[in-house]
Amino acid sequence: MSAGPAMVVSASRRRIDPDPSFTRAFAELAPRLPGSDRQEIAALRARSLARFTELGIPTQRDEAWKFTPVGRIVNRPHAADVPAEPPLERILPHLLGGPKARRLVFVNGRLVPQWSHVGGLPEGAAIESLTRALERRTEAVAARLARDDGRSFTALNAALAASGAWIELAPGVVLSDPVQLLFVTVPGASAPMSHPRVVLRLGSGAALTLLESHVGLEPGPALTNLVLEGELGEGASLAHDRLLLQADEAALIGKVELVLGARARYDQTTVALGGSLLRSESEVSIEGEGVECRLAGLAVPRAGEHVDTLVRVHHRAPASHSDQLFKSVVEERGHHAFAGKIFVHRGAQRTNAYQKNDNLLLAEDGEVDSKPELEIYADDVKCSHGATCGELDPSALFYLRARGIDATTARGLLIWAFASELLDRLGDRTARAAARRALAARLPTGALVDEHEDAA
Amino acid sequence: MATALDTVKDYTEAEYKYGFVTPVEEERFPPGLDEEVVRRLSAKKGEPAWLTEWRLSALRRFFAMEMPTWQKVRFDPIDFQAISYYAAPRQKERPKSLDEIDPEIRRTYDKLGIPIREQEILAGVAVDYVFDSVSVATTFKRKLEELGVIFCSISEAVREHPELVRKYLGSVVPPGDNIFAALNSAVFSDGSFVYVPKGVRCPMELSTYFRINAAGTGQFERTLIIADEGSYVSYLEGCTAPMRDENQLHAAVVELVALDDAEIKYSTVQNWYPGDKEGRGGIYNFVTKRGLCRGKRSKISWTQVETGSAITWKYPSCILQGDDSVGEFYSVAVTNHRQQADTGTKMIHIGKRTRSRIVSKGISAGRSDNTYRGLVRILRSAEGARNYTQCDSMLIGEHCGAHTVPYIEIKNRTAKCEHEATTSKISEDQLFYCRQRGISEEDAVALIVNGFCREVMNELPMEFAVEAKKLLGISLEGSVG
Repeated sequence: MSAGPAMVVSASRRRIDPDPSFTRAFAELAPRLPGSDRQEIAALRARSLARFTELGIPTQRDEAWKFTPVGRIVNRPHAADVPAEPPLERILPHLLGGPKARRLVFVNGRLVPQWSHVGGLPEGAAIESLTRALERRTEAVAARLARDDGRSFTALNAALAASGAWIELAPGVVLSDPVQLLFVTVPGASAPMSHPRVVLRLGSGAALTLLESHVGLEPGPALTNLVLEGELGEGASLAHDRLLLQADEAALIGKVELVLGARARYDQTTVALGGSLLRSESEVSIEGEGVECRLAGLAVPRAGEHVDTLVRVHHRAPASHSDQLFKSVVEERGHHAFAGKIFVHRGAQRTNAYQKNDNLLLAEDGEVDSKPELEIYADDVKCSHGATCGELDPSALFYLRARGIDATTARGLLIWAFASELLDRLGDRTARAAARRALAARLPTGALVDEHEDAA
Repeated sequence: MATALDTVKDYTEAEYKYGFVTPVEEERFPPGLDEEVVRRLSAKKGEPAWLTEWRLSALRRFFAMEMPTWQKVRFDPIDFQAISYYAAPRQKERPKSLDEIDPEIRRTYDKLGIPIREQEILAGVAVDYVFDSVSVATTFKRKLEELGVIFCSISEAVREHPELVRKYLGSVVPPGDNIFAALNSAVFSDGSFVYVPKGVRCPMELSTYFRINAAGTGQFERTLIIADEGSYVSYLEGCTAPMRDENQLHAAVVELVALDDAEIKYSTVQNWYPGDKEGRGGIYNFVTKRGLCRGKRSKISWTQVETGSAITWKYPSCILQGDDSVGEFYSVAVTNHRQQADTGTKMIHIGKRTRSRIVSKGISAGRSDNTYRGLVRILRSAEGARNYTQCDSMLIGEHCGAHTVPYIEIKNRTAKCEHEATTSKISEDQLFYCRQRGISEEDAVALIVNGFCREVMNELPMEFAVEAKKLLGISLEGSVG
């Protein structure tokens, strides 16, 4: 036997062929996709679809998907552009950011103009739907869509992106009121899919609070495949609150990819409270000194829900600081997987990076997987990580019980205490309140705890 | 810090101190691997038919397997056909006493500073020397025999205790476990076999010194240790290898089985030739080590100090099957120049109230890469399982890498699992503090590094700890300061 050929690992086991419905949906939709009147955009989309077919759906042999059988949930017939008109009262509770917030609302990947408004922007600020951006800045959007990160869902997104936004703030522009992107999913006769693409560009010193909400109104199979990408210039600041509240059976696969310039500040908090599969990938590249990057997440999977969080923080410049805190409360048949990586590149001296993953496993049949990783190529750094998994502390439970609090309430209080640290990290008050409501609805003592919170 | 830098340089540029080749007449197979080679090897060793068949089926598996790609070590494809699968020092009969041993071999060990005599008389260590592939001396055998402890080469065990070998060989590391385990199962040449009977506490540390000598010879050692109910054994493995330009593959398999209330302590100090400063030559240390805590309240403890080899790629693991069984892993891995290490452990919790503890210390210098990769898996049946993991890395110089890749998979809610890891450089403050008190840079670094590794060093048996501390000192001389 010659060892040469043995080194070639067959890629076949790492991917499966996508369901033909993706190609069918593309064939149907292509003429109506935004930018399809432009030859180069149409060609770009066709290329992306081919790339998606080539890359296929990853299997668990693909290290990035080790804990998640994504094919089982996602590789099934979906239809793009499923119309739906949910009543306003179902939408209202999800409108966040206060009365002055600007927002874009999408239902099944279609912009709903009557619920969206982005008016009164200061000079140097642009918030446009993807369709509009494709008309006004075709080249720039095309360049974004053309980027190949070797990830099949990004390619699929590029092929089918019909919704999303272009958000750009010129240097020094500070938006004091939040911007909300609300993606609503309403399953109908067929499983809807949408592929939002969001591009964020913050010039030096610009500041923004972005509220990204994903809401499922009815249980049923659906797929949201989001790509959010962009750059923060020197000293720019972004507070990014993410609420993932999908309905049962629905899947959300999202990737956030940001490049941070010197002294930029990025705060991301993801709260995952609903959906058969919530896959949230964040890849942050720190390319200047003095950056502050904080990433946090809370997941409370139960009843067959699967939350998979993948985080990569690249320190490519010296003297920056990153901090990750991810927690999960896993209830019956819930599954939480966390894979986080701190990557300190050569020369990124004086990096200070921290990563923590705490899990509460409360059910016999739940599962927690954690893979906190460090890859470090510089010596003058401080990097550490910690991961824990366990039940509620019996002595804490006993303490509460000894004071006459019943078992259910005692458990509820302890879970609340564990989880609320994460909710407090949400930058926006209304997002915090919405996340509290969603969390309370998941706890047996929900209302009780909620009242406490409201009183406070 | 000019002096510190100098010391770093001295250390990092230190040449391998144990490089020499012993000219010994030897018998060897021409390079190549096929069923015929395995048959000849098996015949040469006078093995029974079942073992020949076992080897052949492992070989077929090996040919069907692919080289994995997930590891964080890089090496050129290995040409398994260019390796000679059998080399033995030419000797008519096994020596009855140490005096009969080839004086050249004796001198080799003397150069390494492990005089057999002294160990035999003073340290009370029974040593099963492995020179390339065939055991050349076994000492203290009689004393052990009185207690019923079997300590012999594996070929001897195949002849004299076939029932034990047949029962346990491959029961912990099945031939198809990984590509190198399959290769080893097919072509293993020799190694050690230990059986400690019920209720016996082995009165001395058992140890083996491995030495790769014949150029172009891979070593495929096979170690099998069985601790019967209520017994205890401590086993030491230490290695140095001569300097050589050609890469040498070492694919050993170590299997440990602990029955009810038994305890096995396995300690390794590994100092094989790491290659030169440019990364030429050096040993590929691709070893599969695994212990099975089969019995209730059994315990397996791995301790390793890895300073040598061009590439170290191994995960001494514990399968905690018996209720209340305990697995431990203590590791120090030092890499320098262009050495690569991807090492760690796996703790598989199956039984109730099983406990595991992992302490790993990685030190990287020069242009080396040092990875801790570990798995803690707690199955649904492992009620009340407990794991504690700590891995710390220290970086010396800005061209090296330190990586931590832990996998934690938990399926039982009563399990408690903690993992901590830190990465930092050697503390300037501590160095300064020592220097201020008149301690030389070099001693200060040795002191700090030894302190950094203390938790692991404390786990080593006395004699080994002294040697290991010296080794760390030598490895870090001039590298750290």
